[in-house]
Amino acid sequence: MDVTDATAVLAKARQGDSDAFRLLVEQHSRRAFQLAYRMTGNEQDAEDVVQESFIRAYRQLSRFEARAHFGTWLHRIVANCSVDLIRSRRSRHDHASMDDIAPIDQPQSDSPDPERLAESAHIGRSVSVAMAELSPLERAAFTLRHHEGRSIAEIGKTLGLGTSATKHSVFRAVRKLRAALEPLRGES
Amino acid sequence: MKHYTEEDLILYYYDERARRTDVERHLDECETCAAAYRALAGTLKLISTPETPERGDQYGLEVWQRIRHQLPEQEVPWWSLWFRADRLAIAGSVAVLLLAAFVTGRWWSSPDAASTSPRQTASAASPANPLNEDARQRILLTSIADHFDRSERVLTDIMNAPAGDDISAEQRWAADLVATSRLYRQDAVDAGEPSVASVLDELERSLLEFVHTPSHATAARLDEIRRRIDAASLLFKVRVLGDELRRREGQDAPRSRAVSAQVS
Repeated sequence: MDVTDATAVLAKARQGDSDAFRLLVEQHSRRAFQLAYRMTGNEQDAEDVVQESFIRAYRQLSRFEARAHFGTWLHRIVANCSVDLIRSRRSRHDHASMDDIAPIDQPQSDSPDPERLAESAHIGRSVSVAMAELSPLERAAFTLRHHEGRSIAEIGKTLGLGTSATKHSVFRAVRKLRAALEPLRGES
Repeated sequence: MKHYTEEDLILYYYDERARRTDVERHLDECETCAAAYRALAGTLKLISTPETPERGDQYGLEVWQRIRHQLPEQEVPWWSLWFRADRLAIAGSVAVLLLAAFVTGRWWSSPDAASTSPRQTASAASPANPLNEDARQRILLTSIADHFDRSERVLTDIMNAPAGDDISAEQRWAADLVATSRLYRQDAVDAGEPSVASVLDELERSLLEFVHTPSHATAARLDEIRRRIDAASLLFKVRVLGDELRRREGQDAPRSRAVSAQVS
């Protein structure tokens, strides 16, 4: 297929050309996985979100505005798919048990002595548990702000919330995380 | 000395606050706020960005292999349907037939025909074309489900709106939804969906109340609106009914008129 630039690939994908869509999938999968993993905190869930997001994107390609960036549009779909997945998990399990929560891998320091490693694992586990207690929207808004560095305006646009609701989702998330993690501050 | 709130400090931490230099100056001078900020920043710094499990160069291809057989039909924009050659031919034929019927009617006017009401005409015509009715019903359900999604977001905004802040943007959004809600409510009544119509009616009333609130509403006024939304379980109903309609969209079999009793 003689497709050399992103605009041409997108135009072809919008016409139903599956080869063109394959190129988009190949190009954006890793970034989509990274976001989905940060949002869900679970590898298998992130894989499910990536697949569901591309399927949704394919179905809705006609709604995509050609002048927008596909990556930005996909980012929005991945974020919302993650929220939907967390919401559906919640409704099935109400609250995840401690055993279901995988500790978030913390970045390791350059000199990983055993004590620091154990401490880092302990913090990682506490962060995972605290994040699991957030509502799906709080978790999404916090992840997009704290880990993805998105502005409040961008997060609102992504999640379909107004500015004040976005801010308050972040505030509530920070408040809950502080309550859960404050005791660790002395240990670290 | 006026102290900054936790919310101000969170916005400052994330570089979202206007007039950063004012906050910086205040933190230099006020030990209480400086201590509060140190505590906040110290905790947030514990939450480092997680390391994402590595995915190789072939990952995109693997994802493609997994989804390629699941790709659905692409949604087609409604306007493009009208420009397909076969549709244009059908539209042309219908126009010719309508013109012929009009001319014939002008020459042969019958008193019996004149006394037939539009409703009778519609009810006589609909059994002859059940497929169109079904498609129309499905489109209506999809549109109402989308409307419920948007309404859920506005209601969430209302439930979280801070007292004293400018809520005029949320009110404009709610005003748009009121107008749409009204149209859908009538459609739902016509389509024999009383539960949907009833929730749309409640939604319309709550949104109207919010629209007519001053744009810098007091805490008491906002609490009153929230209490009514809570008392009617409106957010819950909108969410459940939206899900229910989405579920029904996918079903081809004739649908039951009764939507879950839990929301009515």
